[in-house]
Amino acid sequence: MIRASNILRVGFALAVWCGAALAADPLPPEKIGVATAPVPTPHRLYLTDLQIAHITDGVVHIVDGQSFKYLGMFSTGLFGITALTSDSSEMLVASTYYTKRNRGDRFDQLEAFDTKTFALKKEIQIPAKHAMALPYKGTIAPSVDDAWVFIQNATPLSSVTVVDHKAWKVTAEIPTLGCWIVLPSQSNPRRFATLCGDGTLVTVTLNEKGDSATQARSEKLFDAEKDPLFVQGERVGDSYYFVSYEGNVKVINVGGDVAKVEDAWSLVDDADKKAGWKPGGYQLQAVHAATKRLYVGMHDAAKNGSHKNPAKEIWVFDLATKKRIQRAPGSNSIAMALTKEAKPTLYAYDGINLNFVRYETAPELKPVASGDKVGDFAGLIETH
Amino acid sequence: MKWFDEFFERQARAVAQKTSRRSALTKISRALVGTAFLLPVLPFARVAQAAHGGGAAPDAKLDPMNDTHCEYWRYCSLDGFLCTCCGGSVTKCPPGSQASSVTWIGTCHNPDDGRDYIVSYNDCCGIASCGRCFCNANEGERPGYRLSVHNDVNWCMGNESSIYHCTVSVVLGVSGGAG
Repeated sequence: MIRASNILRVGFALAVWCGAALAADPLPPEKIGVATAPVPTPHRLYLTDLQIAHITDGVVHIVDGQSFKYLGMFSTGLFGITALTSDSSEMLVASTYYTKRNRGDRFDQLEAFDTKTFALKKEIQIPAKHAMALPYKGTIAPSVDDAWVFIQNATPLSSVTVVDHKAWKVTAEIPTLGCWIVLPSQSNPRRFATLCGDGTLVTVTLNEKGDSATQARSEKLFDAEKDPLFVQGERVGDSYYFVSYEGNVKVINVGGDVAKVEDAWSLVDDADKKAGWKPGGYQLQAVHAATKRLYVGMHDAAKNGSHKNPAKEIWVFDLATKKRIQRAPGSNSIAMALTKEAKPTLYAYDGINLNFVRYETAPELKPVASGDKVGDFAGLIETH
Repeated sequence: MKWFDEFFERQARAVAQKTSRRSALTKISRALVGTAFLLPVLPFARVAQAAHGGGAAPDAKLDPMNDTHCEYWRYCSLDGFLCTCCGGSVTKCPPGSQASSVTWIGTCHNPDDGRDYIVSYNDCCGIASCGRCFCNANEGERPGYRLSVHNDVNWCMGNESSIYHCTVSVVLGVSGGAG
């Protein structure tokens, strides 16, 4: 039964609403426009997403890590591989297109997106063999001075396309049979190394024009059979930090004619081994040189095939003492990256919930905030 | 390119035989664990489940003989959409697509006959991504410098159209390591 007082109340509210609507000015006519990209901060995050269910339509998501606000995206086509230039001014993308989208003539391109405006700045055709790989650091890489761009190829035979970044032209294709991932040297911008299936590294040194190269193979530096290195290397100077399937660190210097192991130690002690703690993920580690810290995504009860598992914990190591100094919650991280700051922030990408998690790194590693879902099939974070 | 395909397949088989042999210990532990053997909840598997209404019931998902589920024994190193959910079968690409000319391989244990088999994971190519039944298993999987046992590249790469659609699992033979 409807009470009279309720009817009165509804009537009153309706009258107030109608009055307010009549009193307000009408909305003015509007003009469509295009938003201006915000000024980049060290907390701007770039997330490479293959979009496997819509595979010709890959993207890089651009997110502000402080507010987790979505800022925009770059289109990356089919299996686009991506890398920020060393000065963060451009996002480099090597990708494939077909004249009829999923068929027709194939052509591959290197594209440079402007990180100030998010607009495509320039593009160039490259040999139609860019590695159609999941997002991994080093599938495409700029030299440290941004003079060169190195692009991993796979037909599946392996080679590296060299692009003169300033002249914006392809200068060479260097065969690197059986090897994978480009590891640029800091001390010689015309040099990079690559990891090979026999446990060696091949160091490639270009001539000044970048149109020919010498190559030198190292001795066997890792066991690709029993304890393979994850391909993600974190560079400090000429040295790359790698972690292995079994939880060992290997530091490999690529500055000289031939790559050399500088240091090696284990992330896990006997108790850790007993519990089956091993590294896992895609971009599974991060190194900060100034604070001498190594962060690694780890999971326990590891077994054959668990090496891409999301992190149950993130372990923190002191690079000076090579000791573990902390175990922090893992946030299901499958990718992580540090801001390029003296006191860095760590961003992890949660592979289950598909969102970013922000970690303070001092006084200890601690998750402090997380964003909304972003991405569908992402695995590589870069910070501006 | 026939010579090349044959060369690559020979290389792939050789690597598989060396890479993924199971130890007796693994066999014993799996026998002990039995049906409780559980593949990890991998990020991309979860994505696919979320996109398709939560996936199948948990008990059905653990059936190693159901070829539309990630736990099917042949899929031990399969990373992609199952062609069995896309109009194809375990060994046949869906109509209108093309089988990839190059592949990665795994070594998987068939619980039905107790043998380990070398499995070729051919991608099917040329039409839009199937988007159904995504699996991500990585037994014996190695980084890209061991490309023939690497599943994080598009194995449609050698085809006229390299658009990825789904993945089949073709038995090449009994693994040399099988006891």
